[in-house]
Amino acid sequence: MRRRVVASLGLSLATLLIIGLVGMAQIPLAEFEGPLHEIPVANPDRYLRAIDIGLGQPDFPAEELLRLLERLVTHAAPSPEKEAVLLPIVAALEEGLPIEGLVNKAFEGLARRIPLPDVEHGLHQRFVLLGEVRDLLYSKGIFSVAPGAPQSSPSAIPTPRFNQLLINIADAIGDHLEGGGSPFDGHVLFQMVRERLIMLEGVTLPPEDVELVLERLEPSDLTDAALAAVS
Amino acid sequence: MPHDELERILRDTLQREVAESAPRLEGLEERILSDLGERRPRLGLVEWLGQLLAPTRGGRVGQFAIVGATAAAFLLIGLFISGDLLDRVSPPQFELAPAVASGAAPMADEDSVSGDQQVLFVVPAPLNAKTVVVVGDFNHWEETALTDDDHDGIWTATIPLAPGRYEYGFLIDGRWWGEDPRADEHVQSFGEYSSVRYVGRGGDGA
Repeated sequence: MRRRVVASLGLSLATLLIIGLVGMAQIPLAEFEGPLHEIPVANPDRYLRAIDIGLGQPDFPAEELLRLLERLVTHAAPSPEKEAVLLPIVAALEEGLPIEGLVNKAFEGLARRIPLPDVEHGLHQRFVLLGEVRDLLYSKGIFSVAPGAPQSSPSAIPTPRFNQLLINIADAIGDHLEGGGSPFDGHVLFQMVRERLIMLEGVTLPPEDVELVLERLEPSDLTDAALAAVS
Repeated sequence: MPHDELERILRDTLQREVAESAPRLEGLEERILSDLGERRPRLGLVEWLGQLLAPTRGGRVGQFAIVGATAAAFLLIGLFISGDLLDRVSPPQFELAPAVASGAAPMADEDSVSGDQQVLFVVPAPLNAKTVVVVGDFNHWEETALTDDDHDGIWTATIPLAPGRYEYGFLIDGRWWGEDPRADEHVQSFGEYSSVRYVGRGGDGA
């Protein structure tokens, strides 16, 4: 009896570990098809293509996106409203922008029972900000390079680190605007961005990345990005 | 015969027997093993598998369990290596700041394995409150219950969080509760206030 129990334990442990290994694998693209058809979206192929692009990125939040789709399936709103929430996320994927913040924002909107058109509006603003801030960083000579690729200059940052900068700068500007702040408050915006980056310095952002950004950004740069988001 | 005399005779006899047998017993175990080795039949694949699956003699750990444990050990090593590889391509690719506990908050107990920190959430709720939950970007804005075991109106939950920035809010009996005074900052989102914690920084409540 005892040896059977011990044998079973050994077998169970091995099985669990195998399941764990399998679970570590990326969610397959086919998993997204079901919820997309159930919402339903007008052009599921477009979404699948965009998600396929995302699945190739190292920091793509596949599990979170799938969870969001499943939550939208059960949402009582009309299908076009549900799809509208997804459009900024898909557009971000198509443009190679990180969607982590957008997905999280959508979750928050659903949890707060915000009408879906308002959620879509908030997501669209964040999507525009992500694009604007990326262009801004590019214009300042701060680029992203694929992970593992040779870093040709100190301002060429591996994509996951670059995306973290991008998300946090865009998010700080977005929070300012959502809180009723003016896009013309360049110095206030710069202060908010600076505080955010410094709070995360050495936590999720390398000090050299924070230093690089704060050295090259100007308050007026942030005004331009904020204006684009509200126009 | 006196009892002492009987005991002495028995002891002497036993000692003599053992002394005489000692040379014969020397190397007995090796001789038996060698003999068994010579007599062991050659096994086919099926018999070999059968024997592998059978428990060892004496009711000790089954060989299958040993095989399972060995496989588990290799898998653990594999997990460790793959985790290490994943870390190489995932942010952050630098050393995290050491966690420093807040003076006011009994939290920031760093989990040495995952790097997560135990972050304490506290809500003073009305004594008749039935449920208190926290929602935030650490749980996909799904409810995590707080508890008040001693019914003093102070509801708490300790949640392991990786270093980073987290927005969250509380609901008491399904209603949003204001801004958390223990938060590092507050932001407006969808017209409502969210509280923010920075985990992994010193003196910041986490």
